[in-house]
Amino acid sequence: MAILEISGVTKRFGGLTAVDNVTFSVEANEIFGLIGPNGAGKTTLLSCLAGDLRPNGGTVRLDGRDTTGLPADRMCRLGVGRTFQIPRPFPHMSVFDNVVVAAAFGDPKIQRDQVARRALDMIEYVEFPRPVTTLASHLNAAQLKRLDLARALASGPRLLLLDELAAGLTPGELTSIATLLRRIRGDGVTIVMVEHVMRLIMELCDRLSVLHYGELIAHGDAATVARDDLVREAYLGQSYIL
Amino acid sequence: MANPSVANAPTSPIEADRDATRRHRAALLLVLGIAIVLPFVPPFTGQDYQRWLVGAALLAAMAVAFDFTAGYINVVNFGFAAFVGLGGYTSGLLAVDLGVSPWIGIFVGAALAGFVGLLTGMLTLRLRGIYAAVMAWFVGLAVMGLVRNLPDITRGSLGLNVPLLLDTSDNLPYYYVILGMLVVTLVVLTVVIRSYIGLAFRAIGQNLQAARASGINPTRYLVLNFALSSAFAGWLGGFYAHYYGILTPDVMLTSRTVEVLAVAYIGGRGSLWGPAVIAFPLSIAVELLRTQFANLPGLYLVLYGLLLIVVMIYRPGGVAAAARSVDEWIARRRRPEPVETPRAT
Repeated sequence: MAILEISGVTKRFGGLTAVDNVTFSVEANEIFGLIGPNGAGKTTLLSCLAGDLRPNGGTVRLDGRDTTGLPADRMCRLGVGRTFQIPRPFPHMSVFDNVVVAAAFGDPKIQRDQVARRALDMIEYVEFPRPVTTLASHLNAAQLKRLDLARALASGPRLLLLDELAAGLTPGELTSIATLLRRIRGDGVTIVMVEHVMRLIMELCDRLSVLHYGELIAHGDAATVARDDLVREAYLGQSYIL
Repeated sequence: MANPSVANAPTSPIEADRDATRRHRAALLLVLGIAIVLPFVPPFTGQDYQRWLVGAALLAAMAVAFDFTAGYINVVNFGFAAFVGLGGYTSGLLAVDLGVSPWIGIFVGAALAGFVGLLTGMLTLRLRGIYAAVMAWFVGLAVMGLVRNLPDITRGSLGLNVPLLLDTSDNLPYYYVILGMLVVTLVVLTVVIRSYIGLAFRAIGQNLQAARASGINPTRYLVLNFALSSAFAGWLGGFYAHYYGILTPDVMLTSRTVEVLAVAYIGGRGSLWGPAVIAFPLSIAVELLRTQFANLPGLYLVLYGLLLIVVMIYRPGGVAAAARSVDEWIARRRRPEPVETPRAT
């Protein structure tokens, strides 16, 4: 069953159409990749799904329910978690408090006495490497990515939207993130990931969509899409073909 | 596998540092004790000094209410003084025109100021940072304009004579009233900040987008914050009116807001108690400057300016942050070193 169905989603910024009439659906419990060159509209599309941006046209359905244009906080409470391309912590809070915020406000079903437990569980789940009392402003980029992921998971999402989680990570961290994402899927969470790191995409994704100038130019299972000539030309380039 | 990062984790976010909280509370009670006996210690036994103490406590309470907005949701309410004035005029006019007791009137004034604060919060909702501050400022200027230009009701610039809160003009009883109001303001707002509501305030102030992505509805909390802060401003304005006995539109001047802002920032944004404590030495110093250099009016603004610059450069967290560093230093000396200190820069 499709957990997320988007049809005809369009987002314009003035004269620029960042996302143009995009339609696809994501099955429950799959890992779905969204790739494309810089400026293709991937983050914009993700923001439309997460409620940070309101699409100019089209519909977004979550579990069959029309959620088009609902604000980000509603989407979060409906079970959509997201991470940011540039991680956005609460800088003057500890790691623990950062995650507590999402646990306390992101999950409408959670009991107050469970909040701290949930936050600690999620910090442990993402294998966060530093004390939970560390201030978020003292973390490095890779740690911020993990914190952002823990925050997104703390609201108990059924659908997780990841925006370039792997960007800038070392090969070692990449392997550990891949393991983590597989584990998250194994726990019943559906993942939509925007990503540039092809290794991760090919390793994890069941299906792929390719965006180019805001339009969907290819769609299907990962291996087929990677072989598509149009995709190679637009995005992967000569080096990947060789 | 046991993750070392959660080994000494707190069990609840609000009990996060109970030990520090206990030390903190003891220190504040000590300061309160000093504030209570201060009027019996020379030179504070004189009426001049006691009048200054009343002003200090009033400024302290206003700075706490101001910090509740500026220090947490990160919106500077430049119209703050207008909410103080609104509460004062409401209570004053009720007493003058309808003979309502000031003890009831100051609460009506608080309610009205809170309501206007709620509306202002709704107006500034879609705005960020400086735009929200400017919007709040314009609301303040509009309120002041109304008061000034409705002389039939408010007597405008002529000033409104208001009955006193107590049957005496002795400063000492007023001092204890306003000290009590300061304690109520500090305790109530601290309780709110320590709750999940306060957590939402801090989240919104530090990163609006992440707050939204974490399920926080910013509208609800921004409006609540503005309404509460303004209600306390109005309540304190009521005391102002019935203590000084005269109200002019000048209570709403932006320079009054700036004075409160200076105290809040020097005391330490986002601490509540910092502004409350620092207001006393600061406003006594200001009064001394005023009397010593009576031929140089406005010299105190220079003092505020200089202190603000020093704080911004050396201690952006103000006196509260400085005190926290000292406290952490003491705690470190008592406990063995933690495995890792989160001080990497």
